[in-house]
Amino acid sequence: MGQNILTTSLGKLIGWGRGNSVWPAQFGLACCAIEMIATATAGVDIARFGSEAFRASPRQSDLMIVSGRVSQKMAPILRTIYDQMPEPKWVISMGACASTGGVFNNYALLQGVDKIVPVDVYIPGCPPRPEDLLNALMILQERIKAHGITPRQ
Amino acid sequence: MTDTDTAEIGMGVTVTKTGETGAFGGELLTINFGPHHPSTHGVLRLIVDLDGEQVKRLKPVIGYLHTGIEKQMEALRWQQGVTVTDRHDYLSPPINNLAYALAVEKLMGVDVPPRANALRVIMSELTRLSSHLVWMGTSGLELGAMSMLMYCFRERDTILDMNEEISGYRMHTSYIRPGGVMADATPRFLDLLEKFIVAMPGHVDEYEDLLTMNPIWRSRTIGIGRLSAEDAKVLGASGPMLRGSGVAWDLRKQMPYSGYEGYEFEVATSDMCDCYGRYLVRIKEMRESVKILRQALDRLPDGPVNVDDRKMLPPPREELETSMEAVIHHFKLFTEGYSVPPGDVYVAVESGRGENGCYVVSDGTHKPRRVKFRAASFVNLQPLERMAMNHMVADMVAIIGTADTVLGDVDR
Amino acid sequence: MISENLIVDRGVSAGDNWITIAAESAHEALSSLKEEGYRLLVFLTCVDHLADSSREWPSRYELVYQLRNMDSLEQLRVRAFVDGDPPHVDSVSDLFPPGNWDERETYDMFGIVFENHPDLTRILMPDDWVGHPLRRDYPVGGEVVEFSEEHETWQTAPDKA
Repeated sequence: MGQNILTTSLGKLIGWGRGNSVWPAQFGLACCAIEMIATATAGVDIARFGSEAFRASPRQSDLMIVSGRVSQKMAPILRTIYDQMPEPKWVISMGACASTGGVFNNYALLQGVDKIVPVDVYIPGCPPRPEDLLNALMILQERIKAHGITPRQ
Repeated sequence: MTDTDTAEIGMGVTVTKTGETGAFGGELLTINFGPHHPSTHGVLRLIVDLDGEQVKRLKPVIGYLHTGIEKQMEALRWQQGVTVTDRHDYLSPPINNLAYALAVEKLMGVDVPPRANALRVIMSELTRLSSHLVWMGTSGLELGAMSMLMYCFRERDTILDMNEEISGYRMHTSYIRPGGVMADATPRFLDLLEKFIVAMPGHVDEYEDLLTMNPIWRSRTIGIGRLSAEDAKVLGASGPMLRGSGVAWDLRKQMPYSGYEGYEFEVATSDMCDCYGRYLVRIKEMRESVKILRQALDRLPDGPVNVDDRKMLPPPREELETSMEAVIHHFKLFTEGYSVPPGDVYVAVESGRGENGCYVVSDGTHKPRRVKFRAASFVNLQPLERMAMNHMVADMVAIIGTADTVLGDVDR
Repeated sequence: MISENLIVDRGVSAGDNWITIAAESAHEALSSLKEEGYRLLVFLTCVDHLADSSREWPSRYELVYQLRNMDSLEQLRVRAFVDGDPPHVDSVSDLFPPGNWDERETYDMFGIVFENHPDLTRILMPDDWVGHPLRRDYPVGGEVVEFSEEHETWQTAPDKA
C-alpha cells in the first residue's frame, strides 16, 4: 500500500486508536505477575493508559505481557497462547527471567522468551517496579502510533 | 474416540466426553482447566471430570513453573544461594531467606545477635501481612469482590516501601542472610513501621466490613471445600489450611525460632473447616502479626545486626582501609566463599502458607551438596481433590483460592 | 515400637536425631515408626553422594524421610541408602499420603523407582524429558556466560565424577 494523504491520515487515526487501547492478556507466570497486578491497582493505575482491560482470553487481547520465568514445560503453551492472539499483537517481556533467564541459568528454564515469540519491549529488573511496566507500555504505544495501518513492516 | 468428542470452549478450557454415565443420567465430561486460566492462581493445570457441574474427579498437573532452584543452589556458593531462595515462594521472600539462613547457621553453630533476631521477626511478620494481603485481594477478585484488590494492594505497597527502605528492593529483598541481616534498620524504616502499625488494625477492620458479613462472600465460602481436622493432619496440610480446620498448630508457637517464644500472640484457629474458616484465620493472623510487630518495635534491642565472624561475613568498610587482614578476608569471601562443616539439618519456619522448611546437606565445601525446600504449597495442594469433590465447578475457584498455593513454591 | 534390628545406625546431626535403616525394610520400619506416633511425613527426598569425599558413603543415593510426632513435637530423620540403576525402594505413600507427590518428585528428579506407588510418573518435568535433573552427573544446563570465571562449572555438573 503506497503512502498517500489518505493512508497516512488514516494511519495516524488507526495508530492513535490502537495505541490507546492496548488490551493485555491476563497471563501471569511468576513473581512479575504480582507486580503486574499491582500495576492494575489504584496506586499506579494502568487504566490511565487505556490498558486496564486484562482479557482472560487471548483471542480478545492485543498484548501479551510475559510476566516471569518460562519453563521448558510452559514454553509450548505460551507459544499456543501467542498464536491464538489475533493480529496485530505485541509482546512485552517483563523482568530478567523472561528476557534472559535471569539468575536461573539452568536446564529448567527457557533462556529468554524471545526464543519462541517475537518481543517488542524488554523490561529489566527482578521484578521490575510497576512504573517500569508503565514505561514499557508507553514505549510500545509510541511505536504502535508511529506504525499506523501496518503494525509491522 | 473421534475428534468430535473433544471441543475447545474458550479461555483455554477443553472438554472431552468420557463415555461414563453420571448420577443424573448425563455423561461425565473431562474438562481441562489451565495452565493458563485466570482463576487458577498461577500456572496450575487441573484435569476435572464433571457430572453436570459437579466435580467427580480432579487431578492437579504441576511443573509449569519448575525453575530448577534446587539444582541452581548446588551450583552457587553458600552466600549466593540467598538470592535464589527469595524466588521460590515469591510472596514471602524474607521468610524463605530465614529458613535457609537458620539452616546454614545451625550447621555452622552460629547464633545471631538479638537485634538481628528482632529485625528478622519484623521482616517475617511484614511479609506474612503482605502475603495475606495479596491472597485476600486476588481471592476477593476471583469471587467477585473487586474492590478488595484495590484496598489490599494499597497496604501491600506500604509494606513494599518499607522493604525498599530497609533493603533497597521491593519484593526480593534477600534481607535475611546467614550470619544476620543485610543492614541495620534506618530511622525512616522505623518511622514508617510505627505509622504502619498504628494504621493497619483500622485497615483490617475495613476488609472485614467488606467481606465478613458480605452475603455473596459468605454464600460462596461457607460450607465449601470442607477439610476435617483429621484429614488435614493426615494429608500433611499446614498453615491456615490446618488452622482453618481447628488444629492449633503454628511453628512459631510449637517450635519457636528467632526469638518467637518471647512474643505474645494467639494462634488463630477456626472450627468451620471450610473456605470461610480459612478466611477468618487469615484475618485473625493479620491482627496478631500487627501485635507482634508492636512488641518487636517497642523492644528492639540495640547492638550489632551481624555475627562478628570474619570467616563468614565481610568486614566493615572502615576496616578495609586500615587492616591488611580484613582485605584478605574480604577477598577470600568474595572469590571462594566460606565453607560449611559436613552434615545435614532441617529447619522449618512458619510462612503465610504454612510450614516452609529448608533441608540442607553440606559436604564441607563452599557450595551446598543439596538444598531441599519443603514447600507448604506443594503439600497443601494435595488435599485439593478431597476438598473439591462433589462441589460445583465454580466452587473450585474458591477452594483453590483459599488453599493459597503459590505455584512458584509448588514447582520450585 | 521399631525393633532395634531394623536400625543400622543412629546419631545426631546439628541437633536433629536420625536413624539409618536398610532400604529393603523401609516400608516395615516406617510403618512401625508411624505406630509409634510419628504420623506426619514432613518431606521425603534424596541426596546424591556422587564424588563426595567428605565422608564414607555406603552407596550413591541416600533417601531421607523426615518424620514428626505432632503431639510430642519430636522429629526423626530416617535415612536409607540405595544403589542400582535405577534404584528401587518400596513406596510409603500408603502410610503417609503426602508422600505420594514427594515420591513422584524424587522419581522425577533422581530416578528412584518406588515400588507399589499408585501413579509413578514425572511431576515437575515434561513427560517426555530425558534424564533426572538433580542427579549430580546431570549438567546444570543453561547457556554459556561470556567472561565468566565459572564458565566451566555452569556447563557441567559441580564436582563431576
